[in-house]
Amino acid sequence: MTIIDDLRALETEALAAVESAATSEALETTRVGYLGKKGSLTAILRGLGALSREERPEVGRVSNEVRTALESALEAKRAALHGAARESRIAAEAVDVTLPGRRWPVGKQHVLHEIVDEIVEIFAGLGYQIAEGPEVELDYYNFTALNHPPDHPARALQDTFYVRDLSGDRAVVEGESDVLLRTHTSPVQVHVMESQKPPIYVLAPGKVYRRDVADPSHLPQFTQIEGLVVDEGITFGDLKGTLEHFVHQMFGPKRRVRLRPHFFPFTEPSAEVDVSCAICGGEGCRSCGGEGWLEILGCGMVDPNVFGHVGIDPERYTGFAFGMGAERIAGLKYGVPDLRLFVEGDTRFMHQF
Amino acid sequence: MRVSLKWLKDLVDVALPVEDLCDRLDMTGTKVEAVHSLGATLEGVVIGRVLTKEQHPDADKLSYCSVDIGAVEPLKIVCGATNFEAGDRVPVACVGATLPNGLTIKRAKLRGLESQGMMCSPTELGVGGDASGLLILPSTAPVGTPYAEYAGLADSVLELEVTPNRPDCLSMLGVAREVAAVIGTDFETPSGTPSESGEPASDAVRVSIAESELCPRYTARVIRGVKIGPSPDWLVERITAAGTRPVNNVVDVTNYVMYELGQPLHAFDLGKLGSADGVATITVRPAAPGETIRTLDGQDRGLAGDTLLICDSSGPVALAGVMGGESTEVSEGTTDILLEAACFDPRSISRTSRRLGLISESSLRFERGVDPDLAARASDRAAALIAEVAGGVVAPGIVDAYPGEKPLPELTLRADRVNAILGTALASADVVALLEPLGLGVVAADDALRVTVPSFRPDLEREIDLVEEVARLHGLENITSTRPGGRERIGGRTSAQRTRARIAATLRSAGLDEHIGYSFGDPADLARLSWDLASDETLVELINPMSEEQAVMRWTLVPSLLRAVSYNQRRGVPDVHLYEMGTAFLTAQGRKQPKERLMLAGALTGSWSRPGWNSPGGTLDFFDGKGVLETVMESLHADRWQVRESARAWLQPGRSADVIVAGDVVGWLGEAAPDVLDAFEVTGPVVLFEISVAALLKAAARASILYRDVPRFPAVTLDIALVVDEAVTAERVTSALRSAGGSLLESVRLFDVYRDVPGAPDDARRLPVGKKSLAFSLVYRAPDRTLADEDVRPAYEKLVRKVCGAVNGEVRS
Ligand SMILES: [Zn+2]
Repeated sequence: MTIIDDLRALETEALAAVESAATSEALETTRVGYLGKKGSLTAILRGLGALSREERPEVGRVSNEVRTALESALEAKRAALHGAARESRIAAEAVDVTLPGRRWPVGKQHVLHEIVDEIVEIFAGLGYQIAEGPEVELDYYNFTALNHPPDHPARALQDTFYVRDLSGDRAVVEGESDVLLRTHTSPVQVHVMESQKPPIYVLAPGKVYRRDVADPSHLPQFTQIEGLVVDEGITFGDLKGTLEHFVHQMFGPKRRVRLRPHFFPFTEPSAEVDVSCAICGGEGCRSCGGEGWLEILGCGMVDPNVFGHVGIDPERYTGFAFGMGAERIAGLKYGVPDLRLFVEGDTRFMHQF
Repeated sequence: MRVSLKWLKDLVDVALPVEDLCDRLDMTGTKVEAVHSLGATLEGVVIGRVLTKEQHPDADKLSYCSVDIGAVEPLKIVCGATNFEAGDRVPVACVGATLPNGLTIKRAKLRGLESQGMMCSPTELGVGGDASGLLILPSTAPVGTPYAEYAGLADSVLELEVTPNRPDCLSMLGVAREVAAVIGTDFETPSGTPSESGEPASDAVRVSIAESELCPRYTARVIRGVKIGPSPDWLVERITAAGTRPVNNVVDVTNYVMYELGQPLHAFDLGKLGSADGVATITVRPAAPGETIRTLDGQDRGLAGDTLLICDSSGPVALAGVMGGESTEVSEGTTDILLEAACFDPRSISRTSRRLGLISESSLRFERGVDPDLAARASDRAAALIAEVAGGVVAPGIVDAYPGEKPLPELTLRADRVNAILGTALASADVVALLEPLGLGVVAADDALRVTVPSFRPDLEREIDLVEEVARLHGLENITSTRPGGRERIGGRTSAQRTRARIAATLRSAGLDEHIGYSFGDPADLARLSWDLASDETLVELINPMSEEQAVMRWTLVPSLLRAVSYNQRRGVPDVHLYEMGTAFLTAQGRKQPKERLMLAGALTGSWSRPGWNSPGGTLDFFDGKGVLETVMESLHADRWQVRESARAWLQPGRSADVIVAGDVVGWLGEAAPDVLDAFEVTGPVVLFEISVAALLKAAARASILYRDVPRFPAVTLDIALVVDEAVTAERVTSALRSAGGSLLESVRLFDVYRDVPGAPDDARRLPVGKKSLAFSLVYRAPDRTLADEDVRPAYEKLVRKVCGAVNGEVRS
């Protein structure tokens, strides 16, 4: 046996050992066994010094060949083992993707406030500010300054909530209070006009109160959104165009808008505003009671008497106002059959919208 | 207001279909709320022409006829009547028709001959009294036309919503005038002039009015010798369509004229009115203290001082404009009538009607305002009709007290102003053309129109009222849509409004749903919560609440949330996370309006989510609530805030804390006390919090946000566990660590709290009794270099010494 033969035999044996290594660890053991400090190939290479000068180049060439072959076999095997390990890990990690995800609960805004916010966004885009006012009001702001005559039926105890007046002031109405829960957001109009000079472009959302027994179509408390514009040159056409824009934004560009003359104490001329029924498009169907139209708000030009109360010159300025109920709009938009659902706080109801 | 279309068509020529009329009325401000069908339709009864009339071969009293009803084949009809000839036109009930008497027409054999229908008498059609023979129609009656249509039997009643500014539309005359104006045609004013004879009315009646403000006009007519009885059919039909049941011919006429002209009338039995020397003295005056009257409905009614009364010499005989008295009621034996047509003050009638709970067609009209000019005309009309339907003789003249007579108002209307308000481009002539059909007198002056307002339109007092009339008759649909230009305007939410929206958004991203509860409060909730009001706080009390449970305005949002939690739990929803932002109300002696404070409140119970295949669930407690607050505060960049243990009666002791911002207590946080859970029927634990929104806004406004360098060099992290007394709070240890940390200490994070199990045996204890262990992770970092362990060691050792001394603790080994 020559040393060359030994090398060739070692090569065969080592390549077989590499091939048969089943794990990265076994492969490393194999590598160390041949190429480590105490490895068998290393030992042979160390013995080269004892060879004759004639033998040395040939043995050296062969042993390099063997080492190179072994190293590339090791590398190939290492890559194969690594790939196999990754594949088996991937296989083991496969999941049923139809299992439900891990969730964090996300809270829901109340549908009424969602609607209020949507309306606020639309009018903020038209250059309106958001105004607020007290919920416990004085008769003056709720009625008198809004041109309600002294005997207006809305003032009756059966319709309006009155609040005990602790001021000791009995001058206004003997034995009665002139402090009340506002019945509409319109008193905010008066506060704004008292404190601000035109141009006035405001939207006033808020809670209002009327003495109705809670049932599917009534609540003693509901949400109103009031709009007021006072500026030079404001016309009924401006009111109409503004409301059409609002309806198209809120309900979609295909809905038509109809203004019917009506009566409100604090606007003149006044109108009720209908939107064409989404289901039948105005032809009349069961959803709109055969009307083809759904009433959504009231509006009109600010009555000169209202300007009189707040010291705005009606010859110089004109204005319009409009008001709508968030509950009504939510009812129309989502078909909510019972208004009481809005105040009960059933989270299953809240998450429907 | 119920408007019979048939009646309306007597007054105005309505050529358009009902639907179109309704649309026109809707679009001009008189909303049609409903349309009812009324009257017989007599389906299957058509107009026929008798072609042949032969003797029935087997019956002397019957004839056998061939009748053309416009169909291909004439009908063969056996008939028992004799009052007709071939060529006559008669109503024919075809096979299948049901007559008002219930008879359904069938194909039938009469004495061997088949009859294919029936020719009808007026009685059989329910249209009159003659049962003796067929109803013979004029030769112009169109063959084949449904009889009901031909005879105008069917009627539609329009239910109109009359707005409070249009009292004139509470009469057929007013509606006719309005309809004529909006469809562009003419209308007829019904009138009547009675033929008068006998002693003049002024010999029988004298009228005096105490206060002309309360009664601008009172007229009386006298009709003698009437015969009380049922009204004729036409009268019954009309007032029934208008919505009133017939009483007797005299009362029915007063109602008829009220519906027709809008003037409420009252008929007294003249014989029952107290009189002196045969002259009845009518006095219109406010009630005197203690007076009573028995009204038509048999009720005795005590009268308040401002009740307006009609009195005779002996006392009250009617509540003016509201209801008559029993003592002078028209009854079967009545022969002489005093007919009242008057005008009363709307406010006075409204007060009386509301106080007594008596609402009548009459009071409704007086409340809105009755045209004072109408009284005499209505009295004439009614007297003529009474004479017609009840006989009797109308005494000459009207006793007419009219102290409140006023000239017709004249208004100025500028076409420019119309256009400035409406955005139209109407010429003066257009405006005149729109207003005149309403009965307004319009004259063009130099610069404007002078408009004379008729007395039936008391709502037209100002120029703007006329602008409205122009708007609705011109048609709102004909006004071009524009949008305001408006310089110098500023839109959008204020900073505070935006911050509120951010707080709400943060709460939602933290998993809380928004609730909106009632602003009303239950005063009994004070006891349920063991809530003590401060000495200067008083609940806001409603004078007229809907119920005891809603007798005040809420002073806290907590009950609203607890009730919502209870509502959900009772319906099997265990995981409830709610927030509410709403007003809390409190007042104090001496205040007129209460203080309104915007509050943010929350309630958490159950788990964040039901335990799932990969999420553990877990019961929400104090620290979930605190975490929510921390998240909110972080979103606001509010750093100067803390919580401090506190005692709030509605919270469980030991799990109750005040929220402090910049040194002020601005709210609280904790778990609901067991008594509170019981009182609100809620299963705990429920974490609650309530904070003043104003305080949050202030904290947010104060926050200053400035850039700091993002760390560029790695940190050294050292952990330390400190054993301290139970009473030492985490906050105390943390702040001791921070202050002792030196400049390199970047952050302190508490990552573990260890306590021995209570009551554990000594050999299982790892800490001395009454101690706990708090483990912190300390991060040291230098802004300009990489730190080595040795760099921080001295600072760390100094920290250990200082902290152990400060909190009386020791390092746990
Ligand atoms: Zn529809």
